[in-house]
Amino acid sequence: MSAVATPGALDDRALEELAQVLGAEHLITAKPARMHRARVPAPFPVHRWAEHLPDAVVLPGSTEEVAEVVRIANRFRIPVVPRAGGTGLTDGAVPLRHGILLDLKRLDQIHEIDLENRTCTVGAGVNMLKLNEVLGKHGLIYPDDPASYPCSLVGGRIGTSGWSLIGSRYGHTRDLVLSFVHVLPTGDIVRFGDGGGAKISKSSTGYTLKPLFMGHQGTLGVATEATLKLYPKPEAELSPFWAFEDYDSAHRTLRELVRADCATFAGAVIFDEHKVAYLRRDDEAYIPQPENVRALICAVLYGNEDEVRPGGRRLMRIARENGAHYLGDEISQGDWAARHDRYATPLHGRTKAGQVVPMSWHCEDAAINWTELPAVRREWHAIVARLRERSDVFDDWGMFAYTSTRTGVDYLTEIDVGIWEQELDDETWAMWVQAKRDIAAVAVAHGGSISACHGACREGEVDLVPEELGGAYDVMKTIKRTLDPLNVMNPGKYGLDGSFEEDHK
Amino acid sequence: MSTHAQGNGNPPEAMTEEFVQEWRNAAYNCFSSGHKFCREVCPVMQVERNESWTPTAFHANVVAMEQGELSVEDVAADYVNCTQCGACELRCPNTLFTGDFYRFRTRTVDLVKGMRALAVDQGIHQPGWQRWNRLTDDHRHEPVLGEADGGIPVDQAHVADWAAGLDIPIGGEAVLFVDCEAAFYRTSVPRAVAQMLQLAGFEFGLMREQWCCGGPAAEMGYVEQAKRFARHNLDDWRAVGVKRVIVLDPHDYIAFTEDYPKYFGEEFDDIEIVLAVELFAELIREGRLAPSVPIERAITYHDPCRLNKRKGIWEEPREILRAIPGLDFRDVDRVTQWSYCSGGGGGLPVEKPELTAKISDRRLEHAAELEVDTLVSACPWSERPLAEAGGRRAIDVVDIHELLAESLGIEVGGSRGE
Repeated sequence: MSAVATPGALDDRALEELAQVLGAEHLITAKPARMHRARVPAPFPVHRWAEHLPDAVVLPGSTEEVAEVVRIANRFRIPVVPRAGGTGLTDGAVPLRHGILLDLKRLDQIHEIDLENRTCTVGAGVNMLKLNEVLGKHGLIYPDDPASYPCSLVGGRIGTSGWSLIGSRYGHTRDLVLSFVHVLPTGDIVRFGDGGGAKISKSSTGYTLKPLFMGHQGTLGVATEATLKLYPKPEAELSPFWAFEDYDSAHRTLRELVRADCATFAGAVIFDEHKVAYLRRDDEAYIPQPENVRALICAVLYGNEDEVRPGGRRLMRIARENGAHYLGDEISQGDWAARHDRYATPLHGRTKAGQVVPMSWHCEDAAINWTELPAVRREWHAIVARLRERSDVFDDWGMFAYTSTRTGVDYLTEIDVGIWEQELDDETWAMWVQAKRDIAAVAVAHGGSISACHGACREGEVDLVPEELGGAYDVMKTIKRTLDPLNVMNPGKYGLDGSFEEDHK
Repeated sequence: MSTHAQGNGNPPEAMTEEFVQEWRNAAYNCFSSGHKFCREVCPVMQVERNESWTPTAFHANVVAMEQGELSVEDVAADYVNCTQCGACELRCPNTLFTGDFYRFRTRTVDLVKGMRALAVDQGIHQPGWQRWNRLTDDHRHEPVLGEADGGIPVDQAHVADWAAGLDIPIGGEAVLFVDCEAAFYRTSVPRAVAQMLQLAGFEFGLMREQWCCGGPAAEMGYVEQAKRFARHNLDDWRAVGVKRVIVLDPHDYIAFTEDYPKYFGEEFDDIEIVLAVELFAELIREGRLAPSVPIERAITYHDPCRLNKRKGIWEEPREILRAIPGLDFRDVDRVTQWSYCSGGGGGLPVEKPELTAKISDRRLEHAAELEVDTLVSACPWSERPLAEAGGRRAIDVVDIHELLAESLGIEVGGSRGE
């Protein structure tokens, strides 16, 4: 037996043990089931689908079953890839070494709603929209709001350390998850939070371990149950959209809006002219906008009516003083309400000749400081323009930047690229991977981070991670080796196989 | 799964290739966007949590077939797990935001029907569906009273038994179409409808020889049989000069408004399809029906998938319920109900009754949260699984036509299937 987990280690004996733990019904080896769990929404080299197939899919129904699967994987040295919603954009849930695909969707129970302390405890397979349907009856909300809000699951939010559109008001996943039950790579079950209590938001006892077990993309185990911080459902929402004649004016106004420091401020988004041009292709809200509209800002406020209203007045005044043109209530309310659905439909794809072709939406994200946004924007568009010049497979769908926090220090910055998957081949895939590398390099060169939101373990971008993290990357490798001595958990991700070179020899 | 080739004469590879080419772009539109916003509204996904049984998977399979990675045989059984409720189509961002501009919408229901038909054409059968459709073919109606061969009263001799004593003529310009579940199992529904039409002075008759609409066969992939049944019914209408067909079953309504026009084209253009629930709302509006007997029940309304999600019909049933005195109506909006389903559609209860039971149980769980004593539906096919689940929670399941008739002082009679 190999010293570490290897592809092909899943034999009949291991399958038999898995079936004993899970019941035959929840162990699937049929090929379609394995294929559906080999990919995520990110562009995918369809012609190389088979390279990513897991050998078996397991659908555990409890933390204990998850732990038992991981223990079996350790005994047989089988790679394990956790998957919650499978909606991530950095391939965290895509198997690189086959093995066991650990699908968490059956962990979909709401275990407790604590109305007094305003927390709830849920399985990792619970979706936020569905959870909020239940919490709404109690006047509460769990305000973790990613683009994938209608379909992503709490477990994946922990494994990727998710980013929320309204995080400037409520915080991101790391702030909203108080604690979670976690199965370590060895199969031991522990709870990570602030200190030992399940519902503690700030503790000074021991090491602060919770953040370490978020955003590891499944390489350090898997969360199975989480205790979440809840807020009162806000009385009021305001989401004004403003138009600008150029990006630089919008960029300056963005700073002024954030500096207003309204307590109900939940976030602001800037759209650049490529994004506006993309929307003009087919969006009924933007086609009629005059030609001189070349950038947009949306700001969002949530809270009590008597706080949102004056805050909104203040932002409207600042926008006006900075030359912004308010787009009106209908677009403002409608676009924000449709924020999860609106911006990424495949039919918006165009070849250079203007032919409509089904493209997958891909969002390359980075964390960028406000001062660097204009330069990063120029450099990123240049990279995508070169791609498009070389092939009709690629299309520039413009850029957004979103506040990550209320002070406006840094922005989730994204360039959306349409990719025509029907035509992807080895050559265009290689071009894409190189572009990802270049995009990541720009973020690092400007003192940013390769990803604010998705993770950075995909082909291309992952090469830059040691450069971004420096000595911290070596610490990552040490931690990985210590906690997962047999490299069972999601092997191949983040280049962490490098920690096990000796074992492979 | 058994294999017994019927085929349409083409070699299986050619059939598959033709199917894949037809669905290729639609499949990529789903595969590429990968939103999966459809997932949590899917009734099957909500109870099974199995990613292989999702609209996304149903589309991705086509891509995998094009890549030569999967065959029809690999995936046929997965397509059982769909009630064809249409929630996924409504929740798809591609439908929501590209429909008008590109004239494109996601059509998962058609894809599922198409894949099932492709399987049947290649001799790949699901045993329950094969038996069900054979019995339907033998008796001209679905074996809704039990599947034992021989001795079942589901046949032509009994198809109008439900109308006993109502003195309904045969033929005429308008006929009331009553088949399968309504004709043999929940006979109180057609009795209520017929007596309310009579009360309003609406002239109508019955068919000379009423067969199943053929829709269920089409849903399960037995398209040749579905077309034969459709042809029979259309010929029967023509023979007596029918101009209007009154329909009380949403599943029939789908067959007549979606399948028949595809089968017959212009030949079908002059037949008007009238949905009973819409007609009654109109008759109430016009004052031709005036419900006056108070009904003291705390109710909520179940939007039948084929009305609300497939046809956008949700207003009229609410209009009727609000016109009935005495009701304490605790409504749930139609969009929330996109994720509700009885589990009774698309042949699911034939092949996987345990899955239907889970879905209907979940629907009753939602009703129970409203602390109602009655769940009102407008679809006979939903009422059997819902009533079974309701029995476990002491919630009565009634049809909207039964309720309206009661409020009009009609002694409905017939059987509610108990």
